[in-house]
Amino acid sequence: MRHDFLDRYGRLDSPVHRLPAGLKLVIALVIILTVVLLTGLTVWGFAALAGLLAVVALASRVPLGFLARRLLLLEPFVVGVAVLALLQPDGDRIFLLIVTKSTLCLFTMVLLSNTTPFAELLVALRRARLPALLITTLALMYRYLFVLVDEAERMRRARACRTFAKGRFGLWKVLGTVVGQLFVRSAERAERIYAAMCARGWK
Amino acid sequence: MSAVVEVKDLRYRYHDGAEALRGVSFAIAENECVGLIGPNGAGKSTLLLHLNGILPEQLEGAPTLSVFGEPVNRATLDRVRSAVGLLFQDADDQLFCPTVFDDVAFGPQQFGLNESAVAAKVRAALAQVGLDGFEKRSPHHLSRGEKRRVCLAGLLACDPRVLVLDEPTSDLDPRGKRELKALLRQIAATKIIATHDLELVVELCSRVLVLDRGVIVAEGPTVSILSNERLMLDHGLERPHILQHRHPH
Repeated sequence: MRHDFLDRYGRLDSPVHRLPAGLKLVIALVIILTVVLLTGLTVWGFAALAGLLAVVALASRVPLGFLARRLLLLEPFVVGVAVLALLQPDGDRIFLLIVTKSTLCLFTMVLLSNTTPFAELLVALRRARLPALLITTLALMYRYLFVLVDEAERMRRARACRTFAKGRFGLWKVLGTVVGQLFVRSAERAERIYAAMCARGWK
Repeated sequence: MSAVVEVKDLRYRYHDGAEALRGVSFAIAENECVGLIGPNGAGKSTLLLHLNGILPEQLEGAPTLSVFGEPVNRATLDRVRSAVGLLFQDADDQLFCPTVFDDVAFGPQQFGLNESAVAAKVRAALAQVGLDGFEKRSPHHLSRGEKRRVCLAGLLACDPRVLVLDEPTSDLDPRGKRELKALLRQIAATKIIATHDLELVVELCSRVLVLDRGVIVAEGPTVSILSNERLMLDHGLERPHILQHRHPH
């Protein structure tokens, strides 16, 4: 995985990118709340919101193919949940409603994260007085997610170099070992990071 | 000269029972640059963690360590940590913030400086390590040499009076090593450097401590210790090339 998986296009230059992170965060929140909370939205209401998002997407110069792929990546989760609605009476309408609403919300977030560097979003959240512990957790997650993925990848490669026998059982066994090792290593790294934080005055 | 760091009969045992330090004693004077050498697993890193009060067990019981004349315990911990800057072996452990700026700013922020003072500290520290303009970069994106220098900037931003460095050159290419050496030479602070890079020791340190299996087995002026072939080989080290052609007589 690339280190900028979450905000790959966050550093482009466009009118959307130049807006302050805090403002974008508020707008995204308003759009999401509108979509989620307004029950009386008509087809035209949804179309208007989708149009607005499309204009923002075009203005942001983020490749549309990338946005579509990112959305498709998330869509299975949405559809997975929405499918349950089909079992109720009048299910197809509810199904469509859930899929549309979720897709609009997801698209808003995909746009936000690809027009704003993650670090700036964190600053905006800090200004919004979100609990410091939550922000620290998010910052550490963003920083170490990729270190962890790289580590898993190195371990996978090292394993692969010495894996000669093919077979499903062997593969699962190896995967189990790798996951376990990764867990132990992460725990130890967490301890070292905490030590490094303490060494610079963290309380 | 008074002792800046004084360690008396320091012992440490890990949870799993392994005895890492078995009675270590030494003293380091102001503005001295001391090399800490020894084989893998000698206890060097464990010893360095103590200098910053990182291991919690150390804070219980009678203090065996003092920094600027103050015993290291819970009450003095903040002062000790602001006086001693510790460079970790793995730069990825030390750079835990999303941007270079945030990381260098971390220390000054913890010490309660206001925003503009923090920004000034960060600028000065990054300039000192030659990384102006790196503020918005993500640490994950940097080369090893750059990461190492950002780590160092993070320490310098706290104005430490003692720098404790754990293997500062272990993963650097020759140019990275050369630059780091030049940088360290410029920094006016008491320095303690744990390393296998014996050329670095010869160039920077006036005195060395040899640690093996948790005890100090030898200490003295750099050249006389490092050119003692027998001693070096006995403790998993070797006489560095730089000293091969120098003869004491």
